Amino acid sequence: MSERPVPPSHFVWLAAGFTVWCSALVTLYAIHGIGCAFAWSAGSLRLWLVVSLLAHLVVLGWMWYGISRVAPYSSFGPTGVFLYWAVTGTFITALVATAITFGPPLLLTTCI
Amino acid sequence: MSESVERLPQGTPALRLHRQLNAIWATGPGWQRLAAVNHSVIGLRMMVTSFAFFAIAGLLGMLTRVQLATPNSTFMIPETYNQVFTMHGSMMLFLFAIPMVESFAVYLTPKILGTRDFAFPRLTAYGYWCYLFGGTILTVALIAGVAPNSGWFMYTPLSSNVYTPGINSDVWLLGVTFVEISALSLAVEIVVSILKMRAPGMSLDRMPIFAWYILVTAMMMIVAFPPLILGSILLEVERAFGLPFFDPTRGGDALLWQHLFWLFGHPDVYIIFLPMAAVLSTIIPVFANRPLVGYRAIVVAIIALAFLSFGIWVHHMFTVGIPHLALAFFSAGSAIVAVPTAVQIFAWLATLAHGRPRWDVPMLYVFGFFFIFVMGGLTGVMLAIVPFDWQAHDTYFVVAHMHYVVAGALAFPMLAAFYYWLPLLTGRTAVHRLSVPAFWLVFVGFNLTFFMMHLTGLLGMPRRIYTYHGDEGWNWLNLLSSVGGFVMTIGFALVVIDLFVQLRYGRRVRRNPWGSTTLEWAMSIPPASYAFASIPHAATTNDGSAPGELAVSLARGEGYLGSPRNGWQEALGVHKTSGVPDQLIILPNPTYLPLCTALATAAAVLSMLFKFYWLSLGFALLTVSLFLLAAQSAGLARDYGPLPIGRGVNVPPHTEVADAPASLALICTLVADGTLFTSLLFGTFYLWISAPNWTTAITPEPSRLLAFGAVAALAVAAGAARGSLRTATAGGEASGWIGLAVIALLVAIAAAVGQIAGVVPGPREHALGATAAALLGYVALHAAIGVLFLVSNILRERAGFISPRRVLDLRLTRLWLDYTLATGVIAMGLVLSLPALVTVLGVRP
Repeated sequence: MSERPVPPSHFVWLAAGFTVWCSALVTLYAIHGIGCAFAWSAGSLRLWLVVSLLAHLVVLGWMWYGISRVAPYSSFGPTGVFLYWAVTGTFITALVATAITFGPPLLLTTCI
Repeated sequence: MSESVERLPQGTPALRLHRQLNAIWATGPGWQRLAAVNHSVIGLRMMVTSFAFFAIAGLLGMLTRVQLATPNSTFMIPETYNQVFTMHGSMMLFLFAIPMVESFAVYLTPKILGTRDFAFPRLTAYGYWCYLFGGTILTVALIAGVAPNSGWFMYTPLSSNVYTPGINSDVWLLGVTFVEISALSLAVEIVVSILKMRAPGMSLDRMPIFAWYILVTAMMMIVAFPPLILGSILLEVERAFGLPFFDPTRGGDALLWQHLFWLFGHPDVYIIFLPMAAVLSTIIPVFANRPLVGYRAIVVAIIALAFLSFGIWVHHMFTVGIPHLALAFFSAGSAIVAVPTAVQIFAWLATLAHGRPRWDVPMLYVFGFFFIFVMGGLTGVMLAIVPFDWQAHDTYFVVAHMHYVVAGALAFPMLAAFYYWLPLLTGRTAVHRLSVPAFWLVFVGFNLTFFMMHLTGLLGMPRRIYTYHGDEGWNWLNLLSSVGGFVMTIGFALVVIDLFVQLRYGRRVRRNPWGSTTLEWAMSIPPASYAFASIPHAATTNDGSAPGELAVSLARGEGYLGSPRNGWQEALGVHKTSGVPDQLIILPNPTYLPLCTALATAAAVLSMLFKFYWLSLGFALLTVSLFLLAAQSAGLARDYGPLPIGRGVNVPPHTEVADAPASLALICTLVADGTLFTSLLFGTFYLWISAPNWTTAITPEPSRLLAFGAVAALAVAAGAARGSLRTATAGGEASGWIGLAVIALLVAIAAAVGQIAGVVPGPREHALGATAAALLGYVALHAAIGVLFLVSNILRERAGFISPRRVLDLRLTRLWLDYTLATGVIAMGLVLSLPALVTVLGVRP
């Protein structure tokens, strides 16, 4: 137990990636609902949706990039390394899930 | 169950320690059993109770199969059938499935974590009593012929006053909400205990996979239950007081119920599945004789599954008229959720493939699970595809899928767990001559019953119908389903007989009969009330150590807390990630308070059910008073400083640290509360955008003065709470600050209530006014609870429970009032924005 304990705040990072996925879902669903309710044109509604999706993908990509630039938290011992890989795993899966879940549907007709 | 099978010679250190600990931890005989707070006792009671409800719900299922076995059956009249199938679903989901997985968690989690009990034993007991009383209300309603009859998901407007004027729907709304209080309290308990009460040295990477699953499940429960609790409250308020949240003629929307219900309902499937996956991930490595493959990948998959399961609730609503583009989000999400599930399936298969598997009864059920769950998962992917769902929606295909996923994924691992851990509970093994035929009867009966439903569904048989004409081509399929149902029931009956035979004639086993590596086997079997005579140090990987050798050492008191002190029920608190011990947790002794509090809660619910609203309010206040009373004896009335816990380590008691379990518990509670508040905001915006008649409503004119007054008063209260904490930490008298906070909160309550009185349009006239009243009521309620926090602070300060070192109470109050301020600002802001929102609606094309 000579290594430093991992700060409990690092544990919260396990939820960060998929929290962004949830944010993407809520944002896209809300924009779509409001756009259809207020009869936005298909082009502008789709543009808003695409911009929102891209913003979330950029955030997730930035998170992945950020964690990949630092070495596994070896100063925190095996627990730090475990959390590092688990957090990285959730970032990657959240990024892929966001792209697959919300990307293709944006090609569909908007409000029918 | 407190006697060890492996008796040690009289006078040994182990026996002496056992006697001392048993005197402190054991639940007393006779009526004192009602005061039990021990997790082993409560866990067993929950298990037995949930199986009792399973038996009742199973009987109801058999009645539906008798009714549907032949066309034009007159076995039941439609009203009886409605009650029977509604109660079958409601009982299976709310009174069996969720409590059963919780009972496993309650009984096993502390033992697997290497600790003696949960963080809040009285809360565990309160949760159990709430569950028992809530379930009893539903069961009595069934016997009295006034059971819920609108289907287990209680869709409005069928469940509203207009179409269900009796108390049937109220029974469901109040009874199920009562049970949900139990589920939520246990979820908070589990999260705190897993993060704070593991065996020293059990860092997150060494945590048994079982604990990861249970931790994520409990976190899911904290977020999943509040939307349904809110929906139930809103619907009950509509039924009792006429606030029209779901009535389209007065600005409500029936679909809001579906959203709130399925925001709970879909994650609930995974809340049931994940603990069973925990069982599989624990059992399979034992029988494969090798560690679990892909520990890290499984942890990531569990987290992914937890989040994805929340984002696909609309796949239950594909046919309600939502535009294609939005449906596609949920369709894609529903398909992708299969991936993290598949990661786990492949990890289990890889563990078996790379190990040296051996057969025993639990493994029969594991393979039964694989077959059933993969089939259910595949039909789930089919239903995730919108065009297919449109064809199969509300047919027996969905009933078949649901039973394969929920019943199969639950029943087979449950029975595997049952046979795996029964030696721990009873000290005996199963009788193979009964176990094996029981499995085959359940397996064949299950598939015969539910596979046929896929076909009847594809042939167009709608769900919930009480009979059919006989010329649709469904006759033989329905008959086979019914025969299968009886075969399955015979199988379950054989399991029950097997249990009794095992209890009476089963071969006695020594400790750890399966050669497991988890800590629950490092104790005497059946487990003693204190679980571990001394607490182990988890020095190896997540696969655990050899429980057999460890058990002897722990029984001799060679671990932590190996010698009792002051008659305290002691456990250890650890750092959340590293597992380094950081506090000594002193747990409360057995008490009748949980039972009395649950009785008061039940009285409040029953008074509400029979429309004695003032009486209900009185019992609600009594419930709150009992909680306040319970708080008065919590903690220690003087400072102790660091105390020795064995192995040369000293830690302070939990009352003298910042990171006490109660802090985390309050954070979890606020997360649940915040989810309920967010659901209320969602409901407001949903009605704004979707409900009819909002543009024709009278434009609201909320009082800015009262709104700003309420927010200012909440800010003063939050500031005063900080002042009280600062003063107490510096050794001063905090009662002045506390008094200021009380006055500020009373002002905030008066301002919020004043606004409710002046809401336009009236809350009974239009959903616009009803949502405004709900938001303001939320603020007033939280301010009132804040007053209770402060009253408790004053009482405990006077009783000597607060000192410069012991300021936990004041920290909790500060956190509550910060939350109340934050939600108050949002709620008041939204209420003030309502006129503008209505105006914006007016310019819609």
